[in-house]
Amino acid sequence: MSRQVTYSVGIILLSIAGIIYTLAVGNEPLLGLDLQGGASVVLEPDQPADGSTISEETLDQAVDIIRNRVDGLGVREPEVTRQGETILVQIPGVDDQARAIDLVGQTAELRFRPVLEFASAATEIQYNSAVELLASGEATDETILAEAQAMVDRWEVTPDNAPGEPTVLQSKNDPTFAGRMRLGPVPLAIDQIAKPGQRVTGETLETAAARFNVQSGWSVSPVFHPGSPGIDDFNALAGACFNQRATCPAGAAAIAIDGLVESAPRINAEVFQRDVIQITGSFSEEEAKDLALVLRFGALPLELTPQESRIVSSTLGEDALSSGILAGLIGLALVSVYLIAYYRILGVVAIMSLGISGALLWTIVAWLGASQGLALTLAGVTGLIVSVGVSVDSNVVYFEHVKEDVKNGHSLRSSIDRAFPVAYSTIVKADIASLIAAVVLYFLTVGQVKGFALFLGLATVLDLVATYFFMGPAIKALASRDRTWADKPSRFGIPKTEVAQ
Amino acid sequence: MSFFGDMYRGDLNVDFPSLWRRTVAMSAALVVISIGAVAVLGLNLGIEFVGGTSWEVSAPGVSVSETRDVLAGTGAAAAKIQTVGTDSIRVRADLDSVTDVADISSRLAGLAGAEASDVSVTTVGPSWGDQITSKARNALIWFFIIVAGYIATRLEWKMSVGALVAVIHDIVISVGFYAVFQFEVTPATVIAFLTIMGYSLYDTIVVYDKVRDISGRLTATGRYTYTEMMNQALNQVLMRSINTSITSVLPVLSMLVIGSFFLGALTLQEFAIALIIGIVVGTYSSIFVASWLVAVMKEREPEHIAIRRKIEARGGAREGTRQVSEDDVALGGIPSRVSRPNRSSGDGVRPSGQPPRPRKKKKR
Repeated sequence: MSRQVTYSVGIILLSIAGIIYTLAVGNEPLLGLDLQGGASVVLEPDQPADGSTISEETLDQAVDIIRNRVDGLGVREPEVTRQGETILVQIPGVDDQARAIDLVGQTAELRFRPVLEFASAATEIQYNSAVELLASGEATDETILAEAQAMVDRWEVTPDNAPGEPTVLQSKNDPTFAGRMRLGPVPLAIDQIAKPGQRVTGETLETAAARFNVQSGWSVSPVFHPGSPGIDDFNALAGACFNQRATCPAGAAAIAIDGLVESAPRINAEVFQRDVIQITGSFSEEEAKDLALVLRFGALPLELTPQESRIVSSTLGEDALSSGILAGLIGLALVSVYLIAYYRILGVVAIMSLGISGALLWTIVAWLGASQGLALTLAGVTGLIVSVGVSVDSNVVYFEHVKEDVKNGHSLRSSIDRAFPVAYSTIVKADIASLIAAVVLYFLTVGQVKGFALFLGLATVLDLVATYFFMGPAIKALASRDRTWADKPSRFGIPKTEVAQ
Repeated sequence: MSFFGDMYRGDLNVDFPSLWRRTVAMSAALVVISIGAVAVLGLNLGIEFVGGTSWEVSAPGVSVSETRDVLAGTGAAAAKIQTVGTDSIRVRADLDSVTDVADISSRLAGLAGAEASDVSVTTVGPSWGDQITSKARNALIWFFIIVAGYIATRLEWKMSVGALVAVIHDIVISVGFYAVFQFEVTPATVIAFLTIMGYSLYDTIVVYDKVRDISGRLTATGRYTYTEMMNQALNQVLMRSINTSITSVLPVLSMLVIGSFFLGALTLQEFAIALIIGIVVGTYSSIFVASWLVAVMKEREPEHIAIRRKIEARGGAREGTRQVSEDDVALGGIPSRVSRPNRSSGDGVRPSGQPPRPRKKKKR
């Protein structure tokens, strides 16, 4: 057996082995969000106002918290990755993607506030008439105007940015006027020595879970840390509320985050144990689970702003995938027809060579998807379709060299032998330029371009492999094996007149 | 002999250098038009670059005006609305607040008779595009530096100049095309432009490698100017350029056709338009821009000036470009240098006039 036959049979076996391995292990290419539907958001940390830089540690911590939140959504294979300073969250196939993005993006501090007053039907009427009065401009009486203004100020929703001041916030689950409540300042934590100015925030919480029982339906059970910050701080607030003291006249404590009140449970005991607390209410399953998630992972160590959020419906994704595959197949078929018509047997070898790089590529992409969580995106698919052209080119460069040599009076077989090293050196030069492009783009860009670069690079390397180990040796083997073939260069797509010389 | 028959056999001898004057003028004009179009008309940048939100939903039978009615009174009243593919609607507005976006999603879902989760939404913050753009610009600069260094080491530095000028030429014209027709520039377009860069370079390197091969052997004979050797190289790679362009364009064409039938394939279509322009321009530029520039630079080298003077003194300067003679082509056809590195390039020059002897089959 010549070396050529060993090489070409070897690589065919290798690609078959790759496919068998992939099927046996059950690896499948992991599809990107744009191909299977889902949500993705790029979060960028806001630069701290004091000009300090964001540490790597803080970012990693934020990534962990976000990952926990997303995992808590119960979706399959969510992905939270850091890309430089930004954090990329990808949530495939969520039903309600908007909710998911919303939840992940919530970055504000979780705070406990005493409720001063809930909005009632009476306050709504008063508020509305005050707004109307001020807007109409009819009233001129100073005191009436001042009274109306006071009423509006008292109930107008304010941004939740001063923990030491009272505020008016809207309930998350009730966007109407009745969902408004006036809240007192966030109480200071009892232990002011370790962290002066520390208030009662999400830091007091250890964890939280949503529970279901038949009588009361869905509820949420938070567990506080012992001591302070922890259960002691919560108990101080709870005591004030239970006794409806001046600081907490409405008898309820609000859990506020991101300018909204997640929940404002009425306090039914003076003192709580840290791990036997239950927040009940007419929660739906989703509300209870969301609240538990917010309680668990409320505070992020930095403020994040979503820079790019993308929701791809699953129908759109499937459409993109199937049309990408269809386009690829049709393109491949057209290329095959052209190659065979033009280069005959050489064309068949070129197609086999494409098939081999395709099989190896599929094995690698499936493996990357299964082990590295690397998804194939639409940009990646395009990179692959585009690489068909590049791979075919390697064959064309070689075949044209062969034709040229035959034209110059060499026998087909010697041309085939001699042209390969020259052609291969050209192919390597050109492929390395593509590889440089792929590597530079991979390391210096973000998002879609990165995915494209990866698959372009992979396809280029495989092209070199398939050309060196299959295409060249296979053609040499064909030409030397069968004398009748070598004597009929037209089968190799080489014009007869040239050979007649 | 038909034109295509000659081409197929490789008998076609196109006098490329005689076309250079016109093609360079054409390229210059196209570059000026492109730069002018970008300056005057500007580029139609997608939300990924300028910020905002775009919605896409499959809505058979829904018209643009119906969509506009639904959006009246919202922040997206002035939105850009277009139908894409056969039956879907794409809305683009300068909005990025979560509640506004959700409101419009549900309105569009209502209009299309679909669930809110069937609406695809992309929201991009206003400063995000700048970051992506500056990253891409950095990547591009690094790429140019590394590739120039690579070509200079593997080929020669004049060729890195030629290759980079050709690549920039291709990108400027492709971008100009987008400006003239006001196609939307999306990340997909950027990827396509980067691919164009790759194609163009690849093509150019194949041409350069060939001319270096030929000039490496024929310069020492002193019989040909660099331009003549370049012409020979171009004729030899012509079929390869055409075939590669065809096999590269075929999958892209199928992307374009498929992309116009399916909603989700819109990105494919965007890719395809840019790629087809790029492949055509890239093939053109390697033959008419990259090779022209290198020929011009090389003709100024003392060695090639001397050869040209000698040829002119013998009355060699005629109409058009002289062809490299069959014998010398044969000599050039077998790259002795590659298989036998030590053999000097002047070796093996046979007295002209004799037909080349078919070489014995000899295994190396």
